[in-house]
Amino acid sequence: MARMKFLCDSERCIECNGCVTACKNEHEVPWGVNRRRVVTLEDGVPGERSISVACMHCTDAPCAAVCPVDCFYTTDDGIVLHDKDLCIGCGYCFYACPFGAPQYPQKEAFGVRGKMDKCTFCAGGPEGKDNSEEERQKYGRNRIAEGKLPLCAEMCSTKALLAGDGDMVADIYRERVMKRSTRPQSWGWLTAYQEDV
Amino acid sequence: MKPRIMLKVGSLALLAVLATGCNRATDVTVYEPGVYKGSKDPLVKMHATAEHKAQLQERLTKSQADR
Repeated sequence: MARMKFLCDSERCIECNGCVTACKNEHEVPWGVNRRRVVTLEDGVPGERSISVACMHCTDAPCAAVCPVDCFYTTDDGIVLHDKDLCIGCGYCFYACPFGAPQYPQKEAFGVRGKMDKCTFCAGGPEGKDNSEEERQKYGRNRIAEGKLPLCAEMCSTKALLAGDGDMVADIYRERVMKRSTRPQSWGWLTAYQEDV
Repeated sequence: MKPRIMLKVGSLALLAVLATGCNRATDVTVYEPGVYKGSKDPLVKMHATAEHKAQLQERLTKSQADR
C-alpha cells in the first residue's frame, strides 16, 4: 500500500528556499507562519548541509498522541491532517513534534495563540468539499485531490526534496546514492517512519 | 373576571417557560480518548481508489525522478 513520505537529499539541497516560497505562495500562508523552512547545519564550515524541513507526516505521529481534543486524523496513505474547528491552540503538539512543524498565528494581544497550522502535504483538511473556498482559506490548496503532489517538491530545482509514495521515493534516492557512491543520509526518516532508506 | 383569566394564562405561560428551561440538551459530544470526532474529509475516500494512487505515482515518476 502506498505511504506518502517526504525525503530531503542533503547532498543536493542548495538552500535556495524555493520550496519555502512555493509553499507560502500556493497556500497563501500568513506572515509569521512557516509550514516549511530550510535549516542549515554547520553553516560556514566544511561539511555544511542544508535540509528542507516541514511536517514529516510521521507513522506514529506524536502530535496526534498528545492532542487533548484529538483533532488529528491520518489518511489511508499516511498523510497526517488536522481539524482547525476542533483545535484549541494549546501548543502540546508543538512540544511533541521532533521537527518543530506546528505553527501558530498570533492573532491577539498577550501572546494568545490561534489555531495550529502545519504542512498538509498539499491535501487540505476536513472542510466540506475538496478545494472549496472554505478549505482553501483554512488549510490551503488541495493539490492531492487534483492528482498532484506537494508543490515544494515539484518546484525543487535540484530535485533535492522528494514527496510521494515512500517506496518510489526510496527507490529514486537509492539509485542516486549508488550513482554517486556515498552513504545514504535520509535525514529524519528514522524519527518519522521508524525505518531507513 | 378579566384579571383572573389573565392570571391563569400568565401562570400557565410561566409554567411552560420553566418546564422548557429545565430541559437538558442530550446531543453533547462525549469525549473518548484517541478518537477523532471532527468532520469527515472527502479526500480519504478518494485516496482509497487505485485510480487516484496510480495518478499520483505517475506524477511522481514524471516530475521528481531523475532524467
